[in-house]
Amino acid sequence: MSGKLKALIAFAIFIVLLIVVAVSYYQNLGIISSGRNVAFVLLLILFLAGYSFIGTAKEGKTIPVRKIAAFDAIEEGIARSVELGKPVHFTLGYGPISTVNAPQYLAGLGVLGHVARLCAKYGAPLISTLGVPELIAAEEEIIRDAYYSGGKPELYNVTYNVRYLTDQQFAYASAVQATLHRENVGANIVVGPFWAESLIFMEAGAAIDAFQVAGTARETQIPFFVLAADYAFIGEEIFAAGAMASGDIETLASIRGQDFGKLISWILIVVGLILLPVGIKLAEYLVK
Amino acid sequence: MSVVVRRTIPQIIVALVIVLMVVFYFFYINADVSKGFTTADKALSDWAIVITAIAAIVGGIDILRYHVNQIRKREKRQIVFSCVVIVMEIVMVLLACYALYSGIAITTQPNFQWLYTYLYAPADAAMYSILVFYIASASYRTFRARNPPAVLLLIVAIIVMLGNTSLGAMIWEGFLPLRDWIYNVPNTAAFRPITMGIGFGLIILGLRLIIGKETTWMGRRE
Repeated sequence: MSGKLKALIAFAIFIVLLIVVAVSYYQNLGIISSGRNVAFVLLLILFLAGYSFIGTAKEGKTIPVRKIAAFDAIEEGIARSVELGKPVHFTLGYGPISTVNAPQYLAGLGVLGHVARLCAKYGAPLISTLGVPELIAAEEEIIRDAYYSGGKPELYNVTYNVRYLTDQQFAYASAVQATLHRENVGANIVVGPFWAESLIFMEAGAAIDAFQVAGTARETQIPFFVLAADYAFIGEEIFAAGAMASGDIETLASIRGQDFGKLISWILIVVGLILLPVGIKLAEYLVK
Repeated sequence: MSVVVRRTIPQIIVALVIVLMVVFYFFYINADVSKGFTTADKALSDWAIVITAIAAIVGGIDILRYHVNQIRKREKRQIVFSCVVIVMEIVMVLLACYALYSGIAITTQPNFQWLYTYLYAPADAAMYSILVFYIASASYRTFRARNPPAVLLLIVAIIVMLGNTSLGAMIWEGFLPLRDWIYNVPNTAAFRPITMGIGFGLIILGLRLIIGKETTWMGRRE
C-alpha cells in the first residue's frame, strides 16, 4: 500500500470518527462516554498530527526535532566508563508491568537498547538491573542483540548483563545500591517509573562518583533527578528518547506530534484566559 | 524463530490492546455495550495478573540462577549474600508450599508470617528511613549558591523548610502562608506543563505502537 493511500485512509478514519462524535454530541446519542467528547477529538487530532509528520518524513522532507541533552550525554557517560575501566549500570524500575506505568517501562527499554548498542560500540560491560519480572526476557534479547550486532558477542553473559532483583520496592532499592557499590560502576543510567528509591539511586551513584543520567515521567520524582543527576530526561522526554534511540527519521518525526499537542494546549490556555473575563469558563465546555 | 513470531505478532497484540483500551475508555454506545466493555476490560486485567504471576516464577528462577552462579564463581564479596538469598528463597517457597498443603492462605502460615513481620518488614522500613540521610546529603550538594538560579532555589528551599517546621512559625508567622503560596502557585504552574507534556508523549508513543513504528522494546535483530 502506498504512503499516500495510507494517509488518505487515516484521514478518512479521522473524519468519520469526528462526524460520529459531532452527531453523538448534538443528537444526544451517548455514543461517546459522558464528558469525554473533547478529549477524544483531541486524541484524534494528535494521532493525525503525529501520523502526518511521520508521512512527511517518509517523503524525504526534514522535520526539525529538538535535541535532548540527556540523550546525548549517555554516550559521554559510557565513553567515560570505558576510559576508567568500569562497567555501565542501567535500571528501569520495579513492580508489575500491567499498570499505568507500562509506557515508561517501554520507554526505558528503548533507552536500554541505545545504551546496549553504545556499550557494544565502545566495548563496555553493561549491568542491567530490574525489578519487573515480565521484562527479563525482553532485556536479555535487547542486550544480546546489541552485543551481537555490535560485533562484541564475547561481552554478552546473561547472568552478568541482566540481573532480576525483586519486585519489592526497598529490597530492589538496596540491591541496586549494592550493585552500584560492589561493581563500582562508571555510569549510572536510570530511566523508568520510580518512587522513593530515585534519590537512593542518585546518592549511591554520587558516592562512587558515577556519571549519572536519569529520567522518569513520574512528576513527584522529576525534581530529585533534575537536582541529583548530571543529566535528566524531564517527563515526556523519556518517550521521545525511545524514538531517538530507534535512529529512524520517520519515528523521530512523530516527536513533532508531542510539540503540536503542546501548541494546542497553549492555544486553549490563552483562549481560556481571554474568555474568563467575559464569564465563559472554557474548562467546563472541554469536559462536556 | 521467524520474524513473524518474534516481531509481527507482538506488534499486532500491542496495537490491538491499545485500540481496545481507547474504545473501552471513550465509547459508551448503550448500557449493554458499555457493560460488555467493562467485562472485556476486566478480562484483559485478569490476563495481566496471570502473566504477572507466571513472570514472578521466572523471576524467582532468575534470582536463583544468578546467585548459584556467584557461588560457583566463588565471588568473595558476593558469596555470603548469595548464600543468604538462596537459603531465604528456598525457605519461603517451602513454607508457602507447606501452607498450601495445610489448606491455609500462604500469608497466614505462622512461620511465613513471622519471617515477613520480623525479618523483611523491619529491613524494608530501615531502608526507607535511610532516605532521610540521602535527602540531607542531596540537599547539601544541591543547595549551593553557585549561580542566580541556584540562589533562587536556595531561598525557596529555606522558605519551604521554615514553613514546614514550628521554628519557622516562631520566627515569622508568614512562613506558612508563603510556603502554601509557593506550593499552590509557582509549583503548580511549573508542574502542569510537565504533566501535559507527559500526556502528549504517551499519546504519541501509543500512536507509534499502533502503527508499528515503536520497536525498540523488542531489540533490533531481524
